[in-house]
Amino acid sequence: MRVWATLLALAWRNVWRNRHRTLITLAVVGGGLYSVLVLASLMDAWARSSEETTMIWVTASGQIHAKGYRDNPVAANGMAEPDSRLLSQLESPEVRAWAPRIRVQCIVQSEYRSLPANLWGVEPSREEAISAIPRHIADGRYLEGPDDDGIVLGKRLASRLKTRVGKRVIVLAQAADGSLAQRGYRVVGLFAGNLEVEDSEVETGLAVARRTLHLEGRISEIGYALQAGANLGSVTAGLQSAAPGLEVEPWTKLAPMAVAMGELANGFVWVWLCLTFIFIAIGILNTQLMSVYERLREFGLLLAIGMRPARLVLEVGLEAALLVGIGVAGGLAAAVGTVALFGRGVDLTILAQGAEYLGAGHVLYPSVNLREFLEVAFIVWFLGVAVALIPARRAAKTDPAEVIAHAT
Amino acid sequence: MQRNEEPNAIVVCRDLAKVYKSGALEVPALNGVDLRIEAGEFSVLVGPSGSGKTTLLNMIAGLDRPTSGSVWVDGQDLGALGKGELADLRLRKIGFVFQAYNLIPVFSASENVELILSLQHVDAAEGRRRSLEALKSVGLEGLADRRPQSLSGGQQQRVAIARALVAGPSIVLADEPTANLDSKTAEELVALMKRLNAESNVTFLIGTHDARVTAHAKRQITLVDGKITSDEALAGSA
Repeated sequence: MRVWATLLALAWRNVWRNRHRTLITLAVVGGGLYSVLVLASLMDAWARSSEETTMIWVTASGQIHAKGYRDNPVAANGMAEPDSRLLSQLESPEVRAWAPRIRVQCIVQSEYRSLPANLWGVEPSREEAISAIPRHIADGRYLEGPDDDGIVLGKRLASRLKTRVGKRVIVLAQAADGSLAQRGYRVVGLFAGNLEVEDSEVETGLAVARRTLHLEGRISEIGYALQAGANLGSVTAGLQSAAPGLEVEPWTKLAPMAVAMGELANGFVWVWLCLTFIFIAIGILNTQLMSVYERLREFGLLLAIGMRPARLVLEVGLEAALLVGIGVAGGLAAAVGTVALFGRGVDLTILAQGAEYLGAGHVLYPSVNLREFLEVAFIVWFLGVAVALIPARRAAKTDPAEVIAHAT
Repeated sequence: MQRNEEPNAIVVCRDLAKVYKSGALEVPALNGVDLRIEAGEFSVLVGPSGSGKTTLLNMIAGLDRPTSGSVWVDGQDLGALGKGELADLRLRKIGFVFQAYNLIPVFSASENVELILSLQHVDAAEGRRRSLEALKSVGLEGLADRRPQSLSGGQQQRVAIARALVAGPSIVLADEPTANLDSKTAEELVALMKRLNAESNVTFLIGTHDARVTAHAKRQITLVDGKITSDEALAGSA
């Protein structure tokens, strides 16, 4: 214990012996760790935003379809309304809301242009609980019920069709019996908020769509949203067991790109961590080697008066542990402060279009994941100390007779 | 472990030789040195530069290995000891005073002295007490908390002597301890070592060119070209 206290005191004072060099090393270690942690938080926020955007605009937490619908999403590949067994699962406490939908590919025609889109037949009161579209009406109104025969378009699609609220459009789609169904709708509202969805989705009342597509008593899909903290895997499995003849798929399968974005973000952070650590390691190795070579005579003296080589490795190792530890603590504190500040929201409005195409929202909300921060900080500290063992071993190999002879 | 049979001998060197190799070139530094140092001696090792004084001191300290021959310190054959064991032997039985760079600059005078005791696991309070006592014995009372850079050369050498003696070694090896000191300080330092030798019966072996040191010695061993050319008893002024 006494030896440890002495070695620790010696290491601490040696750390501050060359303040200029120590401050440079601290800046390299602290700055490197800071960049990794802040970047990791931003990328994590991006990935979360991408997931949330996907769920609220596109997939909900998951969807249920008839087998074959996903490969060929036509009206004929519909399914019956949920039976009592499936209903009891959909009404379980872990499922926050669910909504039946009809969804088919269609052509929307204005007086100027025809464009492809997806026609959704929805129950507005249920849809409001699982989709962002009802909450993002930019002009006009949302649908008022399943019998509402108006149509809601994305603002971008309306712009391309050169139509607006109050005007009429014609929707052409293949009905369940294979015939071509055609119906005129009055545009009652325009939604905005997600460029990709704005460009491709149109909604009308569920009952209206059923009548138009000859789908009485049938639907194309059920979208479901989970309570916060509910386990997606177990809920999906529960739904699947309640509806063995249907396909129950979580959003991770429905939107693999969003999952890939998250994985890409995570991978990018690890690549950045590796690159940063290489710079940190070079910094530590350089300064510690300089420090060791400057003090070879001292090491010779310590060995000459009876310090064992292993204790010399320990002393130099302690110096590195303290030096890297201070840098890591500084970088960690600065990163926590910065991310906490960013926690109020990083506004990406200037990049909004690009961000939306990549699936993220306008504002990112990075958060401090203390466990992850501490893990990364520990990795940087541990590897930093491990790198410093190279100069420490050099110190222990000092030939006291030689260095003391050169000192005189 | 093999023990030396010679009673009272602190150091015994038998047919000691050291050859340094530099590429194909072989430079003999010691050649057939036989030496015996008794407990309580105050001896000097003299000779011209390159005669092998420092090499012999390094061999006795276990800092360098002989090419042939053997060295025994306080009954232990150094050739039979590993690096760690040699370090332990130096820690417990050998005190060192070098010409320069004797002290750890980030430690105060007392911390430099305590360093030896802490490596020997002496507790902090006892270490502090003994280091202050050792510093007092070399006339540095009141300077215990000064760092080396704020001490004069002579004071630094005194701290080194206090450090060498604090753990009660069998022998103190000093290599040109007065080389960097002015005459008055050198005289005082030699007188101090002589007094400590007389008071505590610690054995001193000093490698030196300095006539002021040899004037105090009881025995003078002369090395020339790695060989002992004379070994004579001196009066040793008080």
